[in-house]
Amino acid sequence: MNIAQQIVNGLVLGSGYACIALGWTILLGVARLVNFAHGQLYMLGAFATWYAMVKLGLPYPLAILAAIVALAVLGALMQSAMMGLVMTQNLTSLMIVTLGLGYVLQGGSALIFGGNPQTLPGTLSRAKVDLGSLWFTWQDVLVLVATLLLYAAVWLFTQKTRFGSVIRAVAEDPKLAELFGINARVVYLLVFVFECSAVALGAALVAPRSPILTSMGFNEVIMTFVVVVLGGIGSIGGALIAGLGLGLFIAFFGAFVAQAYTTAAAFGVLLALLVVRPAGLSAK
Amino acid sequence: MTVIESQSSSLAPSLRAVAVVVLVAVGFFLPRLLGGTSVAYSTLTTIAIFAVMCYGVDIVLSYLGEVSLGHTLFWAVGGYTAANLSVKYGMNGWSTAIATIGLCIIAAAFLGVVTLRTREFVFSLVTYAAAVVAYEIAFNWDAVGGSDGIVGISALKLPFGFATYVGGTQEELWPVAFALLLLTLAFIARFRRSRLGTTALMVQMNPPLAASLGVDPRKVRLAVFVISAPITGLAGWLYAYQRAYVGPDMFETYFLVMMLTAVVVVGRRVLVGPLIGTAILIAQQNLLSLGGDWNKIILGSVLALVLIFWPTGLIGLLRRFGKARA
Repeated sequence: MNIAQQIVNGLVLGSGYACIALGWTILLGVARLVNFAHGQLYMLGAFATWYAMVKLGLPYPLAILAAIVALAVLGALMQSAMMGLVMTQNLTSLMIVTLGLGYVLQGGSALIFGGNPQTLPGTLSRAKVDLGSLWFTWQDVLVLVATLLLYAAVWLFTQKTRFGSVIRAVAEDPKLAELFGINARVVYLLVFVFECSAVALGAALVAPRSPILTSMGFNEVIMTFVVVVLGGIGSIGGALIAGLGLGLFIAFFGAFVAQAYTTAAAFGVLLALLVVRPAGLSAK
Repeated sequence: MTVIESQSSSLAPSLRAVAVVVLVAVGFFLPRLLGGTSVAYSTLTTIAIFAVMCYGVDIVLSYLGEVSLGHTLFWAVGGYTAANLSVKYGMNGWSTAIATIGLCIIAAAFLGVVTLRTREFVFSLVTYAAAVVAYEIAFNWDAVGGSDGIVGISALKLPFGFATYVGGTQEELWPVAFALLLLTLAFIARFRRSRLGTTALMVQMNPPLAASLGVDPRKVRLAVFVISAPITGLAGWLYAYQRAYVGPDMFETYFLVMMLTAVVVVGRRVLVGPLIGTAILIAQQNLLSLGGDWNKIILGSVLALVLIFWPTGLIGLLRRFGKARA
């Protein structure tokens, strides 16, 4: 068994986890909202990309764009419907409502896209790179580079621009922020639309690796939870490191212990962390 | 709050007892009143089992105001315990039920203690993740059933010393399901008036008051969560005998969405709310089904729309009409 290959696999897996978790990190950490439809949005992002490529014949980059736009519109609709709950910070109801909406998305997608597994056509995911005994695909390189760029962009945006501080002000106290002339509804809407677009992008990048099904999404949700909680809720840098770290852990666990129980192992890491450091690794 | 007060004070105690006895009698003979067909028996048995399943979530959601997304885990623990112990060791219904209660309490206590120091939504995250992970384990671990599950669970046997009650058919299982439902209702009614129940409600309704009285909301959450688990677990226990099969499909999101919808659709903190909610939803799925995918859309939409537009449920709507007329 090749240790170096497992490190490569881990980085490949981990950049995917981090990429899918980015939207949730912002949503939960910056705006203090939750979205339990995350897994179904991932599934829908993958199918939107698949539909654009296979049925509409669009090239991969345009298909990604189409998936992002489609999920942004969906996100805007979802958030508009939930705005009353969002403004009253009713997290309990929000969790349940997003879970219900996720279930609707699952049923609706099965009706539209059918129950058969599909594969995203992609030349990048079949283009192998061999470096001696190591191998990976150009798709993996794309995911890693895109994830690093995205995290850098989002970090700069939330930390260094005025809009970043506006979002944090709204998360802290929506009513007070409105007194200062900030339209909290618009801010929440934009953050949620960002979450949906980010997960669409993540799906379009990560999903070509394996067949897609309308019933998928649970594994992605668990990995996202672990990344977000492990990284310290809302910490962008923490989420990136947690994603890569989790990827390495999963790669080694899958190779040396049991491939079938990787989700359970990730959950074990989460539980251990919650007992030792309930506020996450990056908390002081 | 008003719901609880009005129910206990509107009728004289003796009159109330008579009303309860009449309702129980009518409830017991309901399948016969609906024609006595096997469809009537199986539908009502399913409603009773699913209602008990929902009451586990109801305790946590209605009285504590927290969201457990992991009750499918206890539901499956009940089913898998009944299946494994009865098929492999030939245990009777009492033994499997006791094992179910014990295992559910252990699982809930473990999850509750681990999340004791976390924020509320992390509790929901972890319970949700626990159910998904348990699914993975049940699916891959052949010793408890694996991806095929366990088939051929023999009829439920409940020995009473002198005789043994055998629940082989839907008609024979109905009295057991009905008894379990009554026990659950009695337990919930008792819980609402118990010290823990009122404390939980105080934590939900008036956190500053609870804090000033020295109540630790997280310990209350743990206690209520642990109590709620065996209720859903026992429903899963009976479900295994009803279907004579358990498999990884017991972890499906369907059951989770079903539990939450049944609780919110009629209105939270209403004693018979989850029962009526379950009856409405099962009736739609069994009698007015539009196919699996459409049923998913309906169930999910009902859950989302009720919480967005009528957070008080059907009861709240009725009250609003009542007030508008008066």
